Amino acid sequence: MNGTMEQNVLKLEFSGHIDSSNAPAAEAEALAQIEAQPHEGLILDCQDLTYISSAGLRVVLHLRKLEPELKLVNVSSEVYEILSMTGFTEMMPVEKAYRTLSTEGCEAIGRGANGTVYRIDRDTVVKVYHSADCLPDVQRERELARKALVLGIPTAIPYDVVRVGESYGSVFELLNSRSFSKLIAADPDGMDTYVDLYVDLMQKMHSTHVKPGDMPEMKGVALGWVEFLRDYLPPEQAEKLVALVEAVPERDTMLHGDYHTNNIVMQNDEVLIIDMDTLCVGHPIFELASMYLGFVAFGEVDPNVTLSFLKLPHETAVRFWKKALAKYLGTRDPEAVRAVEEKAMVIGYARLMRRTIRRDGFHTEEGRANIELCRTRLADLLPRVDSLTF
Amino acid sequence: MNVIKESSGSQLTLRIQGRLDTTTAPQLETELKASVEGVTALVLDLAELAYISSAGLRVVLMAQKIMNKQGTMVVRNVDPNVLEVFEVTGFSDILTIE
Repeated sequence: MNGTMEQNVLKLEFSGHIDSSNAPAAEAEALAQIEAQPHEGLILDCQDLTYISSAGLRVVLHLRKLEPELKLVNVSSEVYEILSMTGFTEMMPVEKAYRTLSTEGCEAIGRGANGTVYRIDRDTVVKVYHSADCLPDVQRERELARKALVLGIPTAIPYDVVRVGESYGSVFELLNSRSFSKLIAADPDGMDTYVDLYVDLMQKMHSTHVKPGDMPEMKGVALGWVEFLRDYLPPEQAEKLVALVEAVPERDTMLHGDYHTNNIVMQNDEVLIIDMDTLCVGHPIFELASMYLGFVAFGEVDPNVTLSFLKLPHETAVRFWKKALAKYLGTRDPEAVRAVEEKAMVIGYARLMRRTIRRDGFHTEEGRANIELCRTRLADLLPRVDSLTF
Repeated sequence: MNVIKESSGSQLTLRIQGRLDTTTAPQLETELKASVEGVTALVLDLAELAYISSAGLRVVLMAQKIMNKQGTMVVRNVDPNVLEVFEVTGFSDILTIE
């Protein structure tokens, strides 16, 4: 029996057919490994395990008595079935092995920065990631999407994670949908309809409460952005910026975190949200700030940025933002809308400035122009904005 | 999709057949809203439901929320493919599946 240590966790490989004839030997071997290697946790890797009888199950039970945190991974469907029927899957963590999927002959229907999407059948697609290192991110996104789905947020079903060649893929429900960006680009005069649908869904999301710990807290992330700027802003501005973010109350409100018109799609008459990896909780001002960034600030220096990002002319994006904000706030009073917009701008420009600096912005002309824009805007806004909440 | 209603007193059984997807989910939603008044025990019989999409899950969730207020809901005879979807999405934790 192979045993390997990784981060103080001992992994033992269970393989072949474990029944009454070899279970005692397997147990003795496992115990010898456990004795020999000091460890904090134990994992049974069942990748090559094809069958386990009741005698084998008793070995697992015995090991679990010694190691209450015992976990089984890479379990084949056949062995999982046995573990499930005998109630073992209820007693201890059991992770199924990933299915292997081939995309040969499948139609590639989308290519993104980190993966390619293939249609596998009538109802499902698989997003194959370019790098196998992204598995933790893939699982995090799926987990967030699952939580949102159970809370009633319309999004595609994340099915399972699969092995595709040397990399991983995530299987999703296929949506026959068009993004709001495309719908607006095709019908700019119909914008108001899309504004209404877009804001309805945002309000549904923002009236959803999330259990503590289920999603990351946005305020902490935003504090990271503004702390970063201490080295780049005059001290009194940096001080005020940090104090403003610190004063934002914590909330259990669900936020999307990247709520722009590429991520809102329409299928028949349903409006759905995709790209759930940025889901978080927090005060809605953080959502508005990220929207301001996407619709307005990204394309201020170079409007072509908006065109390539949202496939919308910058002025159309700005118009959409202003309408959406007014609708969200439920007011037509331009001053009331402007006041909230300025709060969103404070966080939006802070984030853009940090982002640009971290992406080597001081060394490109466009980067320097963006940093200068953020500096100017923050210098103008910070003295008069006294709270980020509304 | 076909929905067969069997009602007795305040008990209602909906047998949902076929595919519950983006095109048929609105039909079930209408059906539910129209027939759930006064019902205290709702049964969704899914023996002949072959496929459920996210739109279908949302209608099931809506039914569960309504029944949380006025009685009980049980999901029965779930086909293995649909059960897999309930499990992978975490719906099996919020539904009563028999």
